[in-house]
Order: sequence, then C-alpha cells, then structure tokens
Amino acid sequence: MDVSQQLADYATANSTAVLNRTTPVITDAGLLAAFDNTPVDAEEYGANLNPHLLALTLTSTQALISSLFGLPTKSSNSGPITILPEPITLLPREKPLPKPKPLTKWERFAKEKGISHKKKEKDIWDEERQEWVPRWGKNGKNKQSEDQWLHEVKAGDDADLDPAKTARNERKARIAKNEKQHAANLAAAANNASTSSSSSGKSNGGGVEKTQEEKKNLRERRKDELKRSMLISKTSTASLGKYDEKIEGEPKIKGIKRKFEPTVKSNEQGGFKIEKDSQLDVLKRLEMGVGKVKKSKKGSAGEEGELNVRKAVRFQGKQDRANGSTASSKFGAAKKGGKRR
Amino acid sequence: MSMLRTIKPKNARVKRALAQREPQIVENEKTAIFVRGQATSDIVRNVMKDLYALKRPNAINFSRKNDIHPFEDSSSLEFFANKNDSSLFVTGLHSKKRPHNLVFSRMFDGRILDMLELGVDDFKSMDEFDSPKSSVGIRPLMVFHSDLFDVHPKYMSIKSMLLDFYNGHALKEIPLIGGIEHVISITAGPLPSDIEVNGLGGGAEEDTKNLPKVHFRVYTLKLISSGVAKQPKIQLTEMGPSIDFKLRRIQDPDEELLKMSLKRPKLSKNNIESGLGKKKKNIETDQMGDKIGKLHLEKQDLSKMQGRKMKGLKIKKTKTSTSANDDIEIDEE
Repeated sequence: MDVSQQLADYATANSTAVLNRTTPVITDAGLLAAFDNTPVDAEEYGANLNPHLLALTLTSTQALISSLFGLPTKSSNSGPITILPEPITLLPREKPLPKPKPLTKWERFAKEKGISHKKKEKDIWDEERQEWVPRWGKNGKNKQSEDQWLHEVKAGDDADLDPAKTARNERKARIAKNEKQHAANLAAAANNASTSSSSSGKSNGGGVEKTQEEKKNLRERRKDELKRSMLISKTSTASLGKYDEKIEGEPKIKGIKRKFEPTVKSNEQGGFKIEKDSQLDVLKRLEMGVGKVKKSKKGSAGEEGELNVRKAVRFQGKQDRANGSTASSKFGAAKKGGKRR
Repeated sequence: MSMLRTIKPKNARVKRALAQREPQIVENEKTAIFVRGQATSDIVRNVMKDLYALKRPNAINFSRKNDIHPFEDSSSLEFFANKNDSSLFVTGLHSKKRPHNLVFSRMFDGRILDMLELGVDDFKSMDEFDSPKSSVGIRPLMVFHSDLFDVHPKYMSIKSMLLDFYNGHALKEIPLIGGIEHVISITAGPLPSDIEVNGLGGGAEEDTKNLPKVHFRVYTLKLISSGVAKQPKIQLTEMGPSIDFKLRRIQDPDEELLKMSLKRPKLSKNNIESGLGKKKKNIETDQMGDKIGKLHLEKQDLSKMQGRKMKGLKIKKTKTSTSANDDIEIDEE
C-alpha cells in the first residue's frame, strides 16, 4: 500500500510554511482583512490549484494574525481583548448620515435670542411633604391646585365659581396648547423635509439654489394666486357661477363676516358696563378731537401766525440761487432755526 | 418606499424599533437576504445554503421562489430591503444563458447601489469536507490574493462587495483567543497574457468570459505557539464551501449615490471612547468622580418564594383514591 500521497496531503495540511512575497501583505486590522497584491503565480496556479491557494492563504493569514497580535489589548473577565483600529478600507454605509433634528419654533427663537437650554428635572421638591414628587403625570405637582382639599376664594370671585374645576380647565388648556404647538412643529419639520428631499432629487442640473423659505413662500403665493383666479373665473358667468358644476376640492368662497354686539348682554358677558364704556369712549374721542385731519408733519406749519421755516428756507434758497449770490450764512442760520423748532 | 405604508408608532416599543431603523451615526451590522428566483439549480441552492451558513446570524433566508431578475427590475429587492431593514442580497438564478447564477446586490438608503453577477463554475459544499466547522456568529478573517483586486475595476468591486458582505461592519474589539476561528480566502486567477495587453484600461468593453476566475475558499484556523512571544503560527484546514466563481455582469454604483454612501460621520474623540455616538443611559458620574450605574430589575415574584419548611405545612399524599380523577388533583411537593 502506497501512502505517500496521503502523507504528502497531511504534510501540506499541517504546514505552517509561508511563501515569499515581493510586496508585503497589506493588512486592515479594523476589518480583519488582508490584501496580498502580488500577482498570482500562473505556473503554480495551473499545476496544483488547491495547495497553492492554501499556501497563499497561509501566507496572508499569517501576516494578518501577526499584525492582530501586535495590537494593544485590554483585560476582561474572559481573557484579553484586542482593541481594533479604525478600518482603512472605505466601504459604503447602509443608510445616509442622520440629518440634524429640525429646530422647533421655540428652539429657533431661543437660538436667535441666545437663550440657553435649562434642564428641567422630572421630579420637583415638595416643601410641604418634604419629598420629591413628579412634576407632571400621576400625583404630579401640576395637579396640586386642583387636588387640595381647601381652596382660597378671593373677594371678587363669583359665588358659583369652582376653583378646582377652573384649575383643571387651565391645566387642560395648557396641555392642548402644547399639543397644538407640537403638531405644528412636526408639520413644519415634515414640510421642510419633503421640500428638501424633492429639491435634492431635482438639483442635478445645478444653477442658483433657492433657500427653503423662499421656495415655500413661492409655492404658497402660487397656490393663493391659482385659488383666486379660479374663484374669479367661476363668478364670471351670467349667473355668477350659481349653476356651475362644482369641482372636487374647490375652495370655499369666504366673504367678510360682520360681527354685531348683542343688544342685551347677560351679566357674564359684562352687562351694561361694556356698552357704557363704548359710549363714553365715543364721547371722549369727540372731546379730544381724535380722528381729525392731521396737519402734515412735513410742512410743520406750526401754530397760526407763525413762520413756516422750511418753506421760508426753500424760498430763500431759490431766490439766492437765482441771484447767484452766496448767502450761505443766511441759509445756515435759517436752517438752524428750523431745527430748533 | 411608496409600497410600504408609513407606520405611526402606537406604543413606545414600536417607536423604539422604528427609531432603530432610522439612519444612525454608528450603524448596525448589515443584514443579508438570500432569495431564490423562479428557476434555480441544485448547485445554486447549495451554494446559497453555505453562504447563508457563513453569514448567519445576520442573514435571512427566503425559502420561496420569487420572480426576481435584479438586473432587469430591482423594485422587488428594494421592497424586501425596506420591509426587512436589510441591505445585502444574494439572488440565486439558473438559466440556459447564465447557468448557476448568483447576483450579489448592495443597497444604500433603500436603493440599489451596485450589483455583481457571478456564475458558479465549481462547487464543493461544506458537508463534503470532513473537518470541524466554525461556530455561528464568529467573525471570519478575510484575505484577498492577486493584484487584480487592487487595479482592475471589476475585481475591485468584487473585493468591495465580498468584504462588505462578510466583514463590512467594523468591530471595536475582539478577543483574539476564541474570537477567531476561520478565514475566508478569495483569490483571482492570473490574467491571460492576451487580455493583459488591452484589458486593464478597457473596463466596460472587456469580455468577461476571458477574465480569470475567483476562488472562494474557507479554512478553519488553528493557532500554534511559535516560541516567539505573542506571535503564534497558524495551521489551516479547509472547512468549505469551496466555490469557483466566474465573472458575469456588473452594475457599477451611481457616482452620486456612492459618494453619499462613503461619507463618514465626524465623531469627537470623546464620543469614540465612550460608546461610539450611542446614547448612554443610566450611567453617570457623580461629583466625586465615581461612576454610578442604575439597574432596573424585574419585580420579584414573592409568591414562589420558598418559605420555611415545616412538617406540619406539608401537603400529604392521600393514599385513599376512590376514583381516577382524584389522583390527578393531588398536589405534589
């Protein structure tokens, strides 16, 4: 039995022999990769492929392992851990870099004014109970004024005023307002994102880039214009568009709504006090002469019988120029006088 | 993207899951999807099985046939990518014109970045090698041989694709002992002399039929002490699969898309040292400079706690069984 072949196979399988390389193997320890840029030996490749591949792999892997074992390590419970460097080879990301979060209206304002962010803790110290209580939510501090067993009623308050209910309504109104603002912020962010993405898609041709604000304004204006012209064209029939077919999603015609004060007001709405006030206001205006045609400021004619300095100066100047004389001193004096007034 | 409706998170868990799918500064590892076309051969299926085994656990295997032709229409790949939040694809196909066909595709931002078509020439599966296999989840080493991977545009894209496929996610640290088990070796054959003359500059016009094969081999690795401190010697045993690939079509990445995908985030050194841009929760440093962590434990179930054992409290087994039903109801200690 000839076992020489098996022995040879065994020898190659257990060899640790390394090929000679003309150029050293490049290693990228960050990605656990090695690149052997020496051209493959055609003769060896053709003759015995798999042993040659094994030898090649052995060579490059040996170089990679050597570089890996030369890296700094840190100790852990389960033995040393090698800290890998940043990878050299550039590989594409899976998703684009995250865009910065759009600022909310308040954040924009704060940035403009230079107001720095103040961190609010979720819990707040309750002086009476001598413990930390949540600012909002279950047993929140913001419900304190509606949960207290005794409410202070001020002297001017109505007899049927429910302080607990008023406090609760105020709190609910604050929540509603905040939610509204939040929704508006989200909508603005979504709008911004959509316009920016559509613009980035189109902006291959180059040219002058418009800012998002400008684009938004443009679009809004165009929309308004379209709406207006459509309404005008609808009313330009003999029947003023009364018998025309309605278009889907047609904007409603909004006229000016006139609002009248009720003739008799209930006590809650202020009673007769409001009416009295408004009448008195009219009288006051009449007395003061508010709404009279104002004398033009520019003319500054002043009180009756006095000189209109500005006119006088201009008149004088014209005359001087016509005469050709240099009456600058006179001119200057007159102007000074005018300024003083 | 339009095919999927946008989900509005209804609870915090869904919200967190969706937030994880958003673009991140430091990305998660890319998931690969293995999907079959309408017609596949046995060889292609086996190749995919082995490639899948090497890529696990960051891989999803689709067991059904799909009418996919990535080079003709990539919309279904894009749909799968969005649905599964994955960005690597291996599509197996088989036709008379292109027998035993594998298409590697890579996505960026939900769109196809580049595609690479390889034909399987010669294949020996993992099962045919009688040798120890690597464990699941162990990161392979990858080695590339041949100057073609450095100079030839087609081979450069093969290198980029395969490197990205198995080792694209850069690790921060690795235990060298126990953390390395196998090495993936990729070798391109020598360039025939007649191509060498007009080949390298040509690029697109080149006939891929005459281009040298790409050999995909996987070996398990054994470290032996060499006597020199900290520099072990290695021994390799082929573990399989052993695949010889033939180059077919290649779709190069769109330049603008590639440029966007190669952008790197600017991370401050402080960030890199502590958590790599990830938010650290429940860890803070107090005024004395001590690190304080907060742990959240589940509520202890006191009902199952073992109290003091006493003879009197023992539930005794009653031997007197009148019917079969009674037997069942007896509690056992």
